[in-house]
Amino acid sequence: MKKKLAGIINISISNILSIKRSLEHIGFNVIIIDQYQDIDKLDLLVLPGVGTFKEAMKKLIENNLLKLIEKAIQKNKKVLGLCLGMQILFEEGEEFGLTKGIGFFKGKVENFNKYKVEANTLIGWNNVRFNNKNKLLEQHALVANKFTNNFFYFVHSYFVKTEDENIEIANSTNGEVVYSSIVKKDNVLAFQFHPEKSGENGIIVLKNELINL
Amino acid sequence: MIKRIIARLDIKNNFLVKGMHLEGLRILGYPEFFAKKYFEENIDEIIFQDVVASLYKRNQLSLLTNKISKNVFVPITVGGGIRNINDIKEVLVNGADRVSINTAAISDKKFIKESVKLFGSSTIIITIEALKIGENYKVFTDSGRTETNIDIFEWIKEVQDIGVGEIILTSINKEGTGKGFDIELYEKASKICKISLLAHGGTRKYEDVHNLFVNTEVNGAIIASSFHFNYYKELLKKKEISLKGSTSFLVNKNFNNMFFFGIGDLKKYLKSKNISIR
Repeated sequence: MKKKLAGIINISISNILSIKRSLEHIGFNVIIIDQYQDIDKLDLLVLPGVGTFKEAMKKLIENNLLKLIEKAIQKNKKVLGLCLGMQILFEEGEEFGLTKGIGFFKGKVENFNKYKVEANTLIGWNNVRFNNKNKLLEQHALVANKFTNNFFYFVHSYFVKTEDENIEIANSTNGEVVYSSIVKKDNVLAFQFHPEKSGENGIIVLKNELINL
Repeated sequence: MIKRIIARLDIKNNFLVKGMHLEGLRILGYPEFFAKKYFEENIDEIIFQDVVASLYKRNQLSLLTNKISKNVFVPITVGGGIRNINDIKEVLVNGADRVSINTAAISDKKFIKESVKLFGSSTIIITIEALKIGENYKVFTDSGRTETNIDIFEWIKEVQDIGVGEIILTSINKEGTGKGFDIELYEKASKICKISLLAHGGTRKYEDVHNLFVNTEVNGAIIASSFHFNYYKELLKKKEISLKGSTSFLVNKNFNNMFFFGIGDLKKYLKSKNISIR
């Protein structure tokens, strides 16, 4: 069987090697995308996430990659956002000044430090609760989960809570803040956590969600 | 937040080594075998520490990290010989998620500030080596070889003001001895430390880890010998190729009196004591 092809957007020195390795592990061929290019051959486009909202948007615009992402969404390609890569899919971020995001999902990315939280910067394993109110969930591959626990690995100081329950697959908690940890609409799926660093759970979720595109 | 169980692999010339009080290193085998095994046993995180890097001013861990990231999908921290922005970039590009810095933090605070700004606070960890002299805890560097006259608790405050995301606090007195964690040190440190704090040095039995989590507010325990020797024993039985180096020290009768445990067993024990663990 021909391997599927994933492209990872590269906008900084962020650690994209582990994302590449995890996708290879579940059976993808992976290319790195540094600038605008033809995406017809791609089965999956990945927006990785380390850095700041402002810097990421700036680089995406500079390198003409924002256009590429919008095109992928239009063409109904599968798009996966990870951590900051999930946040920039929302409308607006306030990290180092208000910045306009891609705006595919409704909601605003906020700083934890405005709220009573356990940690201003969350580093570690946090519980992911699947949203039972969400009808989408019933058809969702995640339902067939094989997790022994619901812990995934998070690193973030900013969060987003979408008001649109239809897109929220799962949420997580930091002190008084409940935030979206998995969102999905059409062919765009995004995780606030790092599946490539979430042990066996991360590999399961990637396999379930991506391999049967 | 749940408590983290972290394996530390000390590396010298590409081999996994283990000593006592950060000294007297013995070769145990190829680190990639140990790392893969720990991943399969549900470890929360792995730290690779080049134990002689800062002494010889070099960094050899990038290749190893690159190799390991092929089948280890938990966060990886790399430390030892990180002295400038390029050193950090190199290990991150090769699959590390975070770096830990000790010696350079003390000689060059500007470097730490700059790296926090560039890579974000969650990427930068400061390792602090503490030696108890009389009633005081002093900061050491170069894997316990060089004494500074800095007080541990003052240094913790200073480091967290710089904005780093996490501190690893190693007790040199306890490291590799299996005498249990220095509860007094971690209790005091976790009270003044507002950022995440990890304890390293002295685990021998499950109860040591339990005591640490019950009596202090540290966020995680870093364990080396107990995991390494447990796996080493398994490998000895199977005569695995991942073994390398001298095994004679394991043949003497002390070996059987030592207490080793696997990651799964430790986690099961902690869960049974209602410690919040993955």
